[in-house]
Amino acid sequence: MRGLRSLVARRLLLGIVQTTAVVLLIFALTEALPGDAAVALAGDQPDSARIEAIRKAMHLDRPAPERLIEWVTGLLHGDLGTSLTSGRPVSSYLTGGFGPTLLLATLTVALLVPLGFGLGILAARHAGGLIDRLVSSMTLAVYAVPEFALGVLLVTVLALRLGWLPPTAVGYGTDLLAHPAALVLPVLVLLSRPVCSLTRLVRAGMIDALASPYVAQARRYGISGARIHLTHALPGALAPAAQHLARTIDWLLCGVIVVEALYTIPGLGTVLLNAVAERDVPVVQGLAVLFGVLTVVLNLGADLVAHRLAPRAGVAA
Amino acid sequence: MTERTGAPGASPDPGITAPVTEVRDLRVVVGGRAIVDGVTLRARPGKVTALVGASGSGKTTTGLALLGEYPPGAQVTGNLQLVADGLVGYIPQHPAAVLNPARRIAALLTDIARAQVRHLPRAERRAAARERVLQALTEAQLPDAETLLRRYPHQLSGGQQQRVVLAQALLLGARVIVADEPTTGQDPLTKSRIVDQLAAVAARGIAVVLLSHDLDVVRALADEVIVMREGRVVESAPAERLWLAPRHEYTRQLLDEQPTFADPDTAAETATREAVLRVRNLTARHRNGTRGTTVVLRAPELDLRPGECLAMVGRSGSGKTTLARCLAGLHREHDEETLLDGTPLPRSLRHRSRAQLAAVQYVFQDARAAFDEHRTVLDQVARTAIRLRAADHGTAQAEALAALTHLGLPEQLAHRRPGQLSGGELQRAALARALLARPRVLICDEITSGLDTVTRRGILDTLTALLRDREDLSLILITHDLATAALAHRIAVLDAGEVVEQGPARQLLTDPRHPFTISLMATTRRLGAGAGRCPDAHETTGRTTPVPAGPTTPGHLASRGANSAGPKG
Repeated sequence: MRGLRSLVARRLLLGIVQTTAVVLLIFALTEALPGDAAVALAGDQPDSARIEAIRKAMHLDRPAPERLIEWVTGLLHGDLGTSLTSGRPVSSYLTGGFGPTLLLATLTVALLVPLGFGLGILAARHAGGLIDRLVSSMTLAVYAVPEFALGVLLVTVLALRLGWLPPTAVGYGTDLLAHPAALVLPVLVLLSRPVCSLTRLVRAGMIDALASPYVAQARRYGISGARIHLTHALPGALAPAAQHLARTIDWLLCGVIVVEALYTIPGLGTVLLNAVAERDVPVVQGLAVLFGVLTVVLNLGADLVAHRLAPRAGVAA
Repeated sequence: MTERTGAPGASPDPGITAPVTEVRDLRVVVGGRAIVDGVTLRARPGKVTALVGASGSGKTTTGLALLGEYPPGAQVTGNLQLVADGLVGYIPQHPAAVLNPARRIAALLTDIARAQVRHLPRAERRAAARERVLQALTEAQLPDAETLLRRYPHQLSGGQQQRVVLAQALLLGARVIVADEPTTGQDPLTKSRIVDQLAAVAARGIAVVLLSHDLDVVRALADEVIVMREGRVVESAPAERLWLAPRHEYTRQLLDEQPTFADPDTAAETATREAVLRVRNLTARHRNGTRGTTVVLRAPELDLRPGECLAMVGRSGSGKTTLARCLAGLHREHDEETLLDGTPLPRSLRHRSRAQLAAVQYVFQDARAAFDEHRTVLDQVARTAIRLRAADHGTAQAEALAALTHLGLPEQLAHRRPGQLSGGELQRAALARALLARPRVLICDEITSGLDTVTRRGILDTLTALLRDREDLSLILITHDLATAALAHRIAVLDAGEVVEQGPARQLLTDPRHPFTISLMATTRRLGAGAGRCPDAHETTGRTTPVPAGPTTPGHLASRGANSAGPKG
């Protein structure tokens, strides 16, 4: 187990380096964008004297490296800085946006796992049969539809034509749980592609395992069909599925900008979109740190789970 | 009991009367071809019934039929009396294949035991099942069962894996155990342990059906021998009778002795010639995860003279293959001074010139893995001449065809893909491919260990002829089989990464100095002596080479030349 512990240490160190690199890159890119927060604040008729004044008030006239160093020092003390446009601390943006995003992600994963595994196992049990062909072709078809197209389609049909569900979450604030109807469409869109890929992964892994000599041995020794499927064939399919699931959760927490924007859900994606539009560099950087840490931690977790599920494969650092 | 294939004509056999299971006139047809035809077999409690024959002779199909399993799409006819409730155990050639890599050892064992404790009150079941599992592991001679159950298959040695699979069969309460090539590719020490184990299984009153082409093991164990060839029974008799008076020509070939390379005259002659390959101060390392390296091999001095065959002997893991891979440039983590014809040989393949690449050629143990399954054998063999000697396509094809025919592979086989050739045929093709480079040194890494006796002898004959016909060719023969090593001019013995002894074959085999060499020879002799059930009453003519294993190769009938029995078509 010492090897495992050193792996975790190495991966965490690497993660810090990666996150730092991401933050520097984001800083450089926002600097490179034309215009800054002062221009964005100055409004429709910018007057250069006013822009200069705002810039001075925001300390934007100081050289970039100086601002970066100041921000990094704050970060080391646990201070993510304050927003340029509103003056609110960045951490309040993050906590405010994290709630809805986490809610969406949790709901999606809670439905994704049983659906993906269930469909995968079902298809594998009837490999080559009607059910398998049905599941396989459906998943392939749905996977081929981009999420913004599916989102628009669902809004048009279920919300606007049939009027069953609200088209967006506008006006509900961050307390989305009180309005479950508003969550149905975004969760459906978020679910669509991950379910398909997970189903196909589980199906392929199960079919491989069911054809293996170790499953033949279990059959030979009289182990019942259901037990073979769930306890002898499924474990082999779990490791790749766990890796895939981690990447999906990472995506759900860090990057569902399209879906949040489409359904106007005040999550992290919307916060990011607004911050970029307003050139609110501290908020963008705060988000970059958060996303970086989440990605590192989730991938490490997935590797540890995979290591437990497929101990032979080992883990690449 | 679910998913058991219904066996035609199967009727439960309630009593403990002999035989436990019986097959009469079994015929299995797949795609219009009979892969098993008219096989009759009886397995009696406490007796070992051996099915002997080359690979592809229908042994495994017959063995699996006892389990009620057939190849997909097979038409089965015949009269089968299978064991009631399917209490048949199966030990495959590669035990790791039937152990689930993602589950601990306990998984299947517990599942088997759980089915047996259903009659108990719910609260007692778990403890009772565990009790049974531990009991079975102890019976399979696995100490420290508690820790073992928590391990994953890859954390076990090959021997432990095999015993776990045996424990599964014992736990099941199997009345027949089918063991499929349990000793193939194992070194003598492991082999003799497996023999002891199977003997112990039979002593418990279980009928053992042994599928093997390893005659030493069959000799040591079998009460009844059935010789198979191309799906048919060639000869079937009690073991004693078969060893003493084989009636069929094929059986006689099977029992026949092996050829020799070493001709004392040439051995003396080669000793005086300049070494073609000279190795000094070799240390090879393996990367150990991310931290540092471990030294796995030390060889201070090794010489190979032109026209000589040098055998490298040792148990698996002793560093034989690593040494050979260093010479071939396949293993880069090493320091050494290797001189080929007096010029230093670069350490890595990448830094060797075409001529140097051609000069040292390697033939691998698993010929099937060494061929691309999508291209014809002829194309792949010809490629050597194109790559290493810059021959044009036409010439290369012609040369390849000539080489293949010379090694006994007919033209129509050469145009096929590797999947349609047998293991022995592919090994010949691999030899032809290496020879097309016109090598100075040919390294043969366990190239006969997965083959049956007749095929193995064919390949060894081929090597003998090669050595005789090509003056500039030298051979490094890696083997764990002392009988094969006895064919070489010189032998180097490796143990735990050290060359412990080297010298002329005759001297080393008659007068071993190092304790490891002595113990290796003792084990081989003991395995041969296990054949004590059948007296060695053959016409033992004088042997030119002392064969270490004494009675392991008793039959000595004829055909010592290069044109003795080749592999089957």
